[in-house]
Amino acid sequence: MQSEAIIETRNLTKIYRDFWGRQKVRALKALDLEIRRGEIFGLLGPNGSGKTTTIKLILGLLFPTAGQALVFGRDAREVTKNERIGYLPEESYLYRFLNAEETLDFYGRLFDMPRAVRRQRVADLIEMVGLDWAKRRQLKEYSKGMTRRIGLAQALINDPELILLDEPTTGLDPIGTREMKDLIIKLRDEGKTVLMCSHLLADVQDVCDRIAILYQGELKEMGRVDDLLKVQDVTEFRVAGLSAVAQEEIKQAIERSNGHLLNVGNPTATLEDLFLKIIRESKEHPGRRVRGVEEKT
Amino acid sequence: MEIDLADVTPLLTWMLGPNWAEGRLFHPLAFTLFILLVCGGLVWAIARSRKGTGSVGRGAALTIGGVSAAVIVIVALAVLVWKLLSLGKTQQIAWTVPLAESAEKFANNWLEILQWLLGPDWRQGALYQWCMVVFFAAAAVFAISWLIATIRRGPGAALQTAGRAIGECVLDVVRISPRRVAALAWLGIKESIRRRVIVVFLLFVVILLFAGWFLDPESVDPARLYLSFVLSITKYLVILLVLFLSALSLPADIKSHTLYTIVTKPVRSSEVVLGRIAGFAAVASCLLLIMAAISYFFVLAGLAHTHQIKAEDVEVVGFADGKPTELRGHTTLDHHHRHKLVVYPSGEGRVEMEQGHWHNLKGDWSDLLAEQPPETAFQLGQPKGMLEARVPIYGKIRFLDSKGKPTEKGINVGDEWTYRSYIGGGAEAAAIWTFDGVDEERFPAGLPVELNLGVFRTHKGDIEQGVLGSLWVRNPLAPEDEKPKLVRVFESKEFQTDSQFIPREFLAGDKTVDLFKDIVSDGKIEIWLRCDSRAQFLGVAQADMYLRATDAWFWWNFVKGYIGIWLLALLVIGMGVLFSTFLSAPIAALATAGALLGGLFHDFMTRLAMHETYGGGPTESFLRIVTQDNVVSELKPGLQTTVVQTLDQPLEIGLRIIAALLPDVSRFGAFSNLVASGFNIPGDTIMTYACRTFAYLLPMFVAGYLCLKNREVAQQ
Repeated sequence: MQSEAIIETRNLTKIYRDFWGRQKVRALKALDLEIRRGEIFGLLGPNGSGKTTTIKLILGLLFPTAGQALVFGRDAREVTKNERIGYLPEESYLYRFLNAEETLDFYGRLFDMPRAVRRQRVADLIEMVGLDWAKRRQLKEYSKGMTRRIGLAQALINDPELILLDEPTTGLDPIGTREMKDLIIKLRDEGKTVLMCSHLLADVQDVCDRIAILYQGELKEMGRVDDLLKVQDVTEFRVAGLSAVAQEEIKQAIERSNGHLLNVGNPTATLEDLFLKIIRESKEHPGRRVRGVEEKT
Repeated sequence: MEIDLADVTPLLTWMLGPNWAEGRLFHPLAFTLFILLVCGGLVWAIARSRKGTGSVGRGAALTIGGVSAAVIVIVALAVLVWKLLSLGKTQQIAWTVPLAESAEKFANNWLEILQWLLGPDWRQGALYQWCMVVFFAAAAVFAISWLIATIRRGPGAALQTAGRAIGECVLDVVRISPRRVAALAWLGIKESIRRRVIVVFLLFVVILLFAGWFLDPESVDPARLYLSFVLSITKYLVILLVLFLSALSLPADIKSHTLYTIVTKPVRSSEVVLGRIAGFAAVASCLLLIMAAISYFFVLAGLAHTHQIKAEDVEVVGFADGKPTELRGHTTLDHHHRHKLVVYPSGEGRVEMEQGHWHNLKGDWSDLLAEQPPETAFQLGQPKGMLEARVPIYGKIRFLDSKGKPTEKGINVGDEWTYRSYIGGGAEAAAIWTFDGVDEERFPAGLPVELNLGVFRTHKGDIEQGVLGSLWVRNPLAPEDEKPKLVRVFESKEFQTDSQFIPREFLAGDKTVDLFKDIVSDGKIEIWLRCDSRAQFLGVAQADMYLRATDAWFWWNFVKGYIGIWLLALLVIGMGVLFSTFLSAPIAALATAGALLGGLFHDFMTRLAMHETYGGGPTESFLRIVTQDNVVSELKPGLQTTVVQTLDQPLEIGLRIIAALLPDVSRFGAFSNLVASGFNIPGDTIMTYACRTFAYLLPMFVAGYLCLKNREVAQQ
């Protein structure tokens, strides 16, 4: 059974006009999307493809030129939908003269949360994003990564059902990126729906259940990541502890069945995996590290 | 070692005064303490806002704040108690009388306000007219929106959209959350502090510190100078500040995208607009409160001074039995002026008015006669009659011509055209005021009358002597042939307020007349003014004579002057926030400044639109400038005239609409003039203007909300 649609766009179109009403840019053309409860949906596309415009239309920050955007079955311009939404903008547009606590408390008040609840929630979120040590510093003193974290915390202040993330990993170091991705998956596991847009393909591939690819305001492809990336006519085995003899036998078996062997070798880890491993080891064993790669050469 | 108290007493008296508030130390100390407290608080606030936590912990910060607030409250209370006690002392606990009168006035004020709001018939009331204007404006907006929507989507869909929009508007206003508004207001306050509100405040303090450089110490009326100075700089600084704060805030948030994180929370546009207005209003209120307190002490300290009477300045003019019986002379020169003084044989004496005030002698006047020659210097008290809130009771004026026949106006002597008209001397001509509400309870000793007369001389005469005038009284309900009774003849004073007194009992011929038994009837009395110098003229207008009831409290009148500025600041905030919801920052600031200036010329615009000015409408005036035509003469009939006058018609309609929409800013400014001139601002005037301010704020709020609601905040 398909779960309920959280976001639905029907023929959603946005044309930017100048002061005199003349058409400047056709940012989005007749977009039809449906995002269901409990999935991580990625919007992909190069710069200027309409990703951010779509998110802004869904949030009611822009009004559609034609078509409709529905959130929780209601028009996107309705204010009440925001009670169940969290939004992390592309850059964290926060008040730089407030500190982390004041920022989160302020947004909490915008959700009409009572003081006690707010206080608890602010403390939890600051701990979650790891900014406990800097919670009294004004945001203008924060690094980009710290601003991103506090931006995420403000998006989660109301424990939202739907989270919209605009370029969530921009400006984060590899550890921060990994944490952000883990968090997105954790949120999905808690039953929340996530819509993110990014042009960092690896990130999207890592976390998204479904994606849509936009180009010049038009939807070019949409579907499950696994399905879209599956290369239909290539078969992959990953085997551990295989002897040289057995490898030879397999090669012969492939030849016998007219298969075409593309590559045999040891897989390489991703740079991300390597980096995180080194950092983890360094944390566990402080001091000079014996560099494995150099040793071998 | 024993200390002889007698040695220290004069020094202590000099420092602390006979009562501490009159001592030399009081004003400078109080002023310095206040400034120190406020500046300390501000430095602390800056430190906190700059460093987040700052070097001061929360507990310490709270303690500092609490102690400062407590000290300010205690000082304010002490001043109040001192003021009350000193008033009570001089007027034998008479301060309870103004209190009771105030309560009565307050009740009457409400009645008057209700009358103004609801009218004798509800259709004439201000409330009804306001409702009509708002209703028609809303209807016009609805009609125009519906028309546009119809062109775009067809009539049915347009009607549906309009219906939904109205429903949403009602919801957006009804479901405003106080907590959200408070949060947004708090943000506005924080932002204002970041935007250097403190700089404006420091500028104010610096201007006050250097005020001595440009306030003329030899002014005829220093109280007026000081008061108008502090009120004006407060007004200009606060208005400029709130203009920029309110007009720049929202556009800055839109430009920096910080508004995205707010409008994607369940925040209604109505709350954003209301939050901004409330936040900036709070900033303006706090700033005005502090400025008012500092200004009050500044004025008190700036005007405080005393004089001495020294032997060499006094001349004996009357002797009896080898002893002096009458003295004339002057006081010492202090504060750039000295007063003439006279001591009468009765042992009474007085210091003449100079620079709008006089002083009482500390001690007995007869001591001056007793000591001959006086060896010690006699000390005068603090200035009296300087900071006042006179409560004038105005009457209705009518005129008699030189033959004693009723006439519409006095004579036009060619000096002033419209405001005053003149009555000639040595004839039957008179200006007659009829006053209402005169009773024994209100004026137990008689009627204090104040006059501001214009004088016009047809010949020089005795230039040392003023033109003579006389005051007469008459029962307005008496038969027409009853003549008025002469009370007193006086020498008129030009360019200043002349105080006269009509005593309760006076001699008319050989008969003693009691004002309330013989003249006043049904609370009404006629006071006649005649000019007694042949061929000279006295100029009068209705407001030139008034009865002076018990004065109101000066400090409260001073506060009312600041309430006027506060109301004006609220209006500017409303306009600024409204314009900022649909214009970019510089344009919004310009539009607000434009509306403010337009409001200043409200009267002129109305007269221009109603053809009450010389030279016709805007196009006609322009033509007259180009052709160098006289403004008074009619234009020659012809095509040119028809064209300009036709062009003027839509312009005049536009002007009339603009004039009807803009608040009359100049009248809000008039509050300061009343305070500076020493007149009480009537309570009902304040309340009327408060109603007017809110009558403007409400539609401005709704319009701002609608503009923001229909604005794509992410549209660049």
